[in-house]
Amino acid sequence: MPAVSQGPAERAPAERTRRDSVWTRLRRSRAAMTGLVLVVVFILLALLAPVFSALTGNSPFAYNPDLLGPDTAPAGPLGGISAQHWFGVEPRTGRDLFAIVSYGAQVSLLIGLAATVVSIVVGVIVGLVAGFYGGFADRLLSRLTDVIFGFPFLIFAIALSATVPASVPRTLLLILVIGFFGWPSIARVVRSETLSLKERGFVRAAAAQGTGSVRIIVREIFPNILATIIVFTTVSIPGKIGAEAALSFLGVGVNPPTPSWGRSISDAISWVQVDPMYLIFPGMALFLVTLGFNMFGDGLRDALDPAEARSESAAAADPMSAGGQP
Amino acid sequence: MNRTKFIAYRLLGALIVLFIVAAACFAIFYLMPSNPAQYSCGKPCSPDRLAEVERYLGVDQAWWKQLFDFLGGIVVGRDFGSGAAAIHCDAPCFGYSFRLRDSVTTLILSRLPVTISLTLGAAVLWAIGGIVSGLIAALKRGTATDSVVMGAAITGISAPTYLLGLLGILLFGFTLNVLPIGGYVPLTENPAMWAFHLILPWIVLAIANGAIYARLTRGQMLEVMSQDYIRTARAKGLSEPIVIGKHGLRNLVLPLTTLFAIDIGGLLGGAVITEKVFGLGGVGTLLLEAVSNLDIQVIVGVTLFAAAIVIIANLLADLSYSVLDPRIGARR
Amino acid sequence: MRRSALIAATLSLGLILTGCNANPELNNDGDKSTNTLGETHKGGTLNIFSEDSDIDFDPGKSQGLAITSLAYVHRRLTTWDIKPGEEGKVVPDLATDTGQISDDGKTWTFTLKNGLKYEDGSAITSADIKYGIERSFSTELSGGLSYHKTLLKGGADYKGPFKGDELKSVETPDDKTIVFHLNSAFGDFPWIASMPAFSPVPKDKDDPGKYGLDPVSSGPYQVKSNKSGSEAVLTRNKYWDEKTDPVRTAGPDEVVFKLGQDASVTAQALISDSGDAKNGFSASFVPASQLAQVQNDPSAKSRLVTSGPGALSYLAMNNEHKGLDDTKVRQAINYAVNKDTYRIAGGGEITGDYASTLITPGIPGHQDFNLYKADPSGDVDKAKSLLKESGAKLGTLKLLVKNDATSVAQAEAIQEALARIDVKVTIKSVDTNTFSADATDAKGDYDLALSSWQPDFPSANGNIQPLFDSSQIGNGNYNISRYSNDEVDALIKKATETVKPEEAQKIWAEADKRIMEDAPVVPLTYNKNSFLHGSNVENFIIGDFPAYPVYFKASLKG
Repeated sequence: MPAVSQGPAERAPAERTRRDSVWTRLRRSRAAMTGLVLVVVFILLALLAPVFSALTGNSPFAYNPDLLGPDTAPAGPLGGISAQHWFGVEPRTGRDLFAIVSYGAQVSLLIGLAATVVSIVVGVIVGLVAGFYGGFADRLLSRLTDVIFGFPFLIFAIALSATVPASVPRTLLLILVIGFFGWPSIARVVRSETLSLKERGFVRAAAAQGTGSVRIIVREIFPNILATIIVFTTVSIPGKIGAEAALSFLGVGVNPPTPSWGRSISDAISWVQVDPMYLIFPGMALFLVTLGFNMFGDGLRDALDPAEARSESAAAADPMSAGGQP
Repeated sequence: MNRTKFIAYRLLGALIVLFIVAAACFAIFYLMPSNPAQYSCGKPCSPDRLAEVERYLGVDQAWWKQLFDFLGGIVVGRDFGSGAAAIHCDAPCFGYSFRLRDSVTTLILSRLPVTISLTLGAAVLWAIGGIVSGLIAALKRGTATDSVVMGAAITGISAPTYLLGLLGILLFGFTLNVLPIGGYVPLTENPAMWAFHLILPWIVLAIANGAIYARLTRGQMLEVMSQDYIRTARAKGLSEPIVIGKHGLRNLVLPLTTLFAIDIGGLLGGAVITEKVFGLGGVGTLLLEAVSNLDIQVIVGVTLFAAAIVIIANLLADLSYSVLDPRIGARR
Repeated sequence: MRRSALIAATLSLGLILTGCNANPELNNDGDKSTNTLGETHKGGTLNIFSEDSDIDFDPGKSQGLAITSLAYVHRRLTTWDIKPGEEGKVVPDLATDTGQISDDGKTWTFTLKNGLKYEDGSAITSADIKYGIERSFSTELSGGLSYHKTLLKGGADYKGPFKGDELKSVETPDDKTIVFHLNSAFGDFPWIASMPAFSPVPKDKDDPGKYGLDPVSSGPYQVKSNKSGSEAVLTRNKYWDEKTDPVRTAGPDEVVFKLGQDASVTAQALISDSGDAKNGFSASFVPASQLAQVQNDPSAKSRLVTSGPGALSYLAMNNEHKGLDDTKVRQAINYAVNKDTYRIAGGGEITGDYASTLITPGIPGHQDFNLYKADPSGDVDKAKSLLKESGAKLGTLKLLVKNDATSVAQAEAIQEALARIDVKVTIKSVDTNTFSADATDAKGDYDLALSSWQPDFPSANGNIQPLFDSSQIGNGNYNISRYSNDEVDALIKKATETVKPEEAQKIWAEADKRIMEDAPVVPLTYNKNSFLHGSNVENFIIGDFPAYPVYFKASLKG
């Protein structure tokens, strides 16, 4: 039986026109476009890392001890920047810093994006089920949300990375760990939106018609919280990227020699007086990609729903939302 | 649901949550390949002595057995070791560190002043700084001031805490040599030095949080200011400060209180990175060290403490919600 | 479009910059003048910056050297006399000599000096030393240096004094005399008597749960306060008598341990010589990155003290694992490793000399030889042909390493070097404690491990026995290459029981060569440790052994 259409006032605006107007509004925001450009640049940098590597012949793993001075800092000014080594080389190893930063972008973005997907999927499902079914399911899931909120994320991530055998790929582990601890905030937002949507006429009407609950969730509720989910996804990516970098900073991120910005930063900070370029490139990369996602996310939120303040407050309460860690 | 019942129900839920947290701690560390007995066996060690140390530390037991011994300690207290060297830990015993030779309760209490000093000082900074700059941005919406404040906020959110902290140490501690590079002086010992040593950590911790508050404040204010009743108030000829003060700010209290409670709760459990970067021996450092030393009792004790604080903070946030906004009580 | 513009911009920037190559000139003839002993000024507060957030002064639990922290508070039967440029000597501390031998080296007798007192003015007796040793056997106080536990007769089954048992092989016929009965002859026993457990502990003042926070001092300082995560303050012990102490100079009025300090931040503070750092030194080595900075900073360089070649850094190969159980494979890896990139990753020339032996320079009996002669960068051809000869199929090797930046960079250097002979390596980096647990447990779940070893006492015994005796595999012990050879075990036993030092040294050198023929490890470098001190610190010295500063001689300029 086809779903009976509801009054236009109860329906979200037609998808197509909505998308057009969102894009127009986004285009008008300089900050959002700057953010988008930054994000695209970094995605390209990550995707093209092997191309750059082939072009210059620099791999992020190859040692070049001949490029180092006797104090093991890069020989030459500005961290050994040259036509061959655009960002100079890493102290102590002489590896190409551009290759390290560009391959590092792969790691950062992969983990950041994939962990976000894990968080969003789990969070949306939990939020929908808790909000829609209420009762025991809601109580159980809400307490579960509290449990995850109550866990000191960093400590557990550190402990887990020591516990899990080395045969499990680190990248996968990090995606799962960061993703798993990131879902409670989206779950709370989705739950409360679902709660209020459930009371709305078109949902009640569908239920009165005997539409199955799964169908109501998928057909009626989900499309109406999609905007929130999209905004939430964008604003939580930088937090996940920051979490990966923070774990690498603490020495429990991806295994070397896989490049990681967080690890480079933690190493570079002690070199900053001798070779500031070593800190500047990975540090700026991490900062700019975070900034890019934040600016784009802001613009997207304004464009989708100018009065959306709730997702901001929820994102702020997310222990991983603020780029870094406390 | 009335409020007493609501609180009782949440407290029961909190106990279950804490139980799961404790169980997860023991399970994870039991699965860990490393054996904590190895670090305290001595050099060189022998198989007999290793087995003895394992028995003494209790790590020869299955994880659920360790869990129940731990829970038993909370209810009736526990004894560690035997003979003249036995150590009694009174109920409620939240564990005992063989490495630091103190009960976990004492250890947390001794480290807590550092964490409280750090968190509350930073919280004052970020709350005032964040809310004021958010208000300014909202009132001057669309102006250059707004852009600057919001630009600064998004920059603050995007900069990792550790990078800010380490660069701060380099700039103010070494290059300019105007601030101490870390360390903690108790408030009771010398209030001026206490504040002087904490300025940098406060600022660093306040930057990211303050930026979030600024954005939230601005967003809420703009939303409120566009409401009909504000327009009505303005139309009635009420002066702008009264409109903002009476109606605008009142609507900010609720979301900010909630967020504030949760943030403070999260940080009191240990501001791990800030403490580490500035060499502050707070609860976060205690936990980090316990993890690297596989000091399981401390890990469980501190994790429970941190989780309990987060849960209490959440509970307070929800309660303040129902106190400040009576509509919520009915919905729950 | 945007991308190619970016490339063009970076390229042109690069081209301009390569024009001027201002390579900072370094002179490596480091100013050694600070590593000297002079007159000791009295007074002031000396700060010692430590990464540890706690300091436990319990002698039973300590693995500390005789010249570091605990030596401020505890005297032992014997101690170490360390001077720059000289081999370390064992000298009497509480005892009048370094022990009288009888019964072919199986019985050692020590006599205490007259007038020795604790911080409370009460007399130090031989019974207190016996009690100090006994309590170190108890499980409650395990974790310290334990060489004596297997040497003393009946030690294997003794569980400590807290249930009323006593260790019969330690006798105290009177208040001044203490006699040790050993299982077998042991020539290095005077060194054993300098270990922390040989400090006096008054039985009636002992509370094993708390003693380490504020012990009863026999040394020049006593504990005034000891706050976990913050600092420990030592003040003078007025009952300590300089005349009875041959090594401690007790210059500063107070010694403050600043706890939980990040090594990198401390090094930075010492380089800029600011605040508390002026009157202090760091208990940790200067990290490689800051070593580069120090070498470019004349003021800091004059306050850098670098040890002679000391601890051995080596790549352990798990001899029990398939493939690596083949001597030819291990020899191939000995040729394949690139000691040059390894050393650069650790900070370059200033951090060590290339190693080829197991007994380290500065240890009596060290003989220089190299069974696998090659360039420091390795001999890839020879390695390849040896590997081919062996016919062994090596899977991917798991390299266990600590997770600090330096160790990881070094591990990557090994990884890159072995890739040259098509041996794949994955790096497993873990924190320091997990590393020692994983490397020393029964399972041995690793193929390679990067480790370093500094003997606990300056005898070839300390170089060889803990790392290569088959009894030292697993159970928290350090034969992490899991090397087992009956012939070598026999040589170790023979050398240990030889009481005459010169004869023992010859046997140890023989064992060194015999082990290297089997190539259970790749010796990488003899490490040199560099330490920084503030401009107001004097008498900050490092001897040939150990590669650590002598804490109790450091004092402050007047």
